[in-house]
Amino acid sequence: MKSYLIAFILVSLSLFGCIKDDFIEDFVEPTLRITTVPDTILVNSEYQFEFMFLNNIGVEEEVNAVWSSSNTDIIEIDESGLALTKTIGIADIKVMYSNNEINLEEVATVRVGMSTVEAITERDGRIKTTSSYTLEGDFKLSENQGQLTIEFFEDYRASTALPGLYVYLSNNPNAIGNALEIGAVETFSGSHVYTLENIGINDYEYLVYFCKPFNVKVGDGTIN
Amino acid sequence: MKNSIAVLFLSLFIVSIATAGGPWTQQKGKGYYKLSEWWLTYNQHYTDTGATDPNITTGIFNTSLYAEYGFTDRLTGVIYAPLFSRNYYNNQVSNTTGEVIIQGESLNSVGDFDVSIKYGLTQPGAKIPIAVTLTLGLPLGQTGQGALNILQTGDGEFNQMIQFDAGTSFQFGNINVYSSATIGFNNRTKGFSEEFRYGYEIGAGLMNQKLWLIGRLGGVESFQNGALTDPNTSTSIFANNSEFTSFGIEAAYYVTKQFGVSASFASAFRGRIIAAAPSYSIGVFYDLSK
Repeated sequence: MKSYLIAFILVSLSLFGCIKDDFIEDFVEPTLRITTVPDTILVNSEYQFEFMFLNNIGVEEEVNAVWSSSNTDIIEIDESGLALTKTIGIADIKVMYSNNEINLEEVATVRVGMSTVEAITERDGRIKTTSSYTLEGDFKLSENQGQLTIEFFEDYRASTALPGLYVYLSNNPNAIGNALEIGAVETFSGSHVYTLENIGINDYEYLVYFCKPFNVKVGDGTIN
Repeated sequence: MKNSIAVLFLSLFIVSIATAGGPWTQQKGKGYYKLSEWWLTYNQHYTDTGATDPNITTGIFNTSLYAEYGFTDRLTGVIYAPLFSRNYYNNQVSNTTGEVIIQGESLNSVGDFDVSIKYGLTQPGAKIPIAVTLTLGLPLGQTGQGALNILQTGDGEFNQMIQFDAGTSFQFGNINVYSSATIGFNNRTKGFSEEFRYGYEIGAGLMNQKLWLIGRLGGVESFQNGALTDPNTSTSIFANNSEFTSFGIEAAYYVTKQFGVSASFASAFRGRIIAAAPSYSIGVFYDLSK
């Protein structure tokens, strides 16, 4: 009997699960994004353009990009993205980044006028399920004085069956490792609002819903 | 023999269904003891619609002691004690960069204990014995552990279950056969829904009753009357409002008159908010009722 007990203990110990690796398909196309895009810039003033480079898993990386203006008689821009407006008109501001594998650029058309007007203060989208759980609804992002508001409307519905449903802002729809956790979902039907501080309206491209306990994606929505 | 075989340790899913091994009580002073290893690893789960969705690979391992002792011929005490419980989940690794996105973690502790008292409503030796069992689920395991607060070795709630068992035994040729059925009502606290539990078991003794083969059916139906799901708790087999219908098989072999080994397998036909993978168990038992 003693030998059986010893054998049992040895077999049991060998069964204690070791932590292994689960591989996640998290590739996204690298993107270069101008994050400050004014509609109009006051003539004879300076404006600081900023950009964001997101690598192939949607994580922001510091890179040296090149700024240029399509018409330096209207806007000049230096290597740091600081623009100087010289006369009223329209010009394209372009940011470019390249390495051995990618060539990226983004262009923003900007007016020079009698006042500065920020262009994008609202974005919207629709969340949809990517699982067997119910998740749907339209949403709107708006930015006001450094405060980002995410508003869901009456058509929003989410399954109450899931333990631990969380919502995130992310630049990768398939992974939350580098996402911003907004919080646990507490409203499962109808309109509701999330308010976030110090988050730019162009900082993220997706709303992503994950079930934390199961560590599984439930749904997402592209921010248009 | 019927008593012993019927109380063999079941998978964790089923142990609560058939706790205390059908309607047969131990004789006074007799007992049955089992040390077993039960495990479940899963990378998918049943959703609320009954479909299966993927999840990060998660494992639960329980090293448990199951003991049954007859205080009288009609009153038997039972304890199911997962003395060592391990819950882990894998690393999530980027297939693009090879970097770890979410670090895997593990939790080791004792699990939730079940303490039961079973009373035979019929006299020992009855043709169709019937027993009632009261089980107290003691939340000795841990919940909400780890960096993501998702590791747990228990459900974090105290529960009490009343259960009725009835069964019979008969000869089929020269093979001893037993059969039993159970129904139970599980009252859970901390906002968990109450549950209706049911099960059926049949066993046959072969090789002069040295080898017992057992088949089981069982399930749990939630009354869906608990509080809204707590976002910080519940996973795998510990979630609220879980439901399933499962089947299992087990083989128990008496190496000596009283000492034996066993192995079992259980899986689900259907489920809701629960891991979707088979569970396994191996064990050694000591049957003093022989």
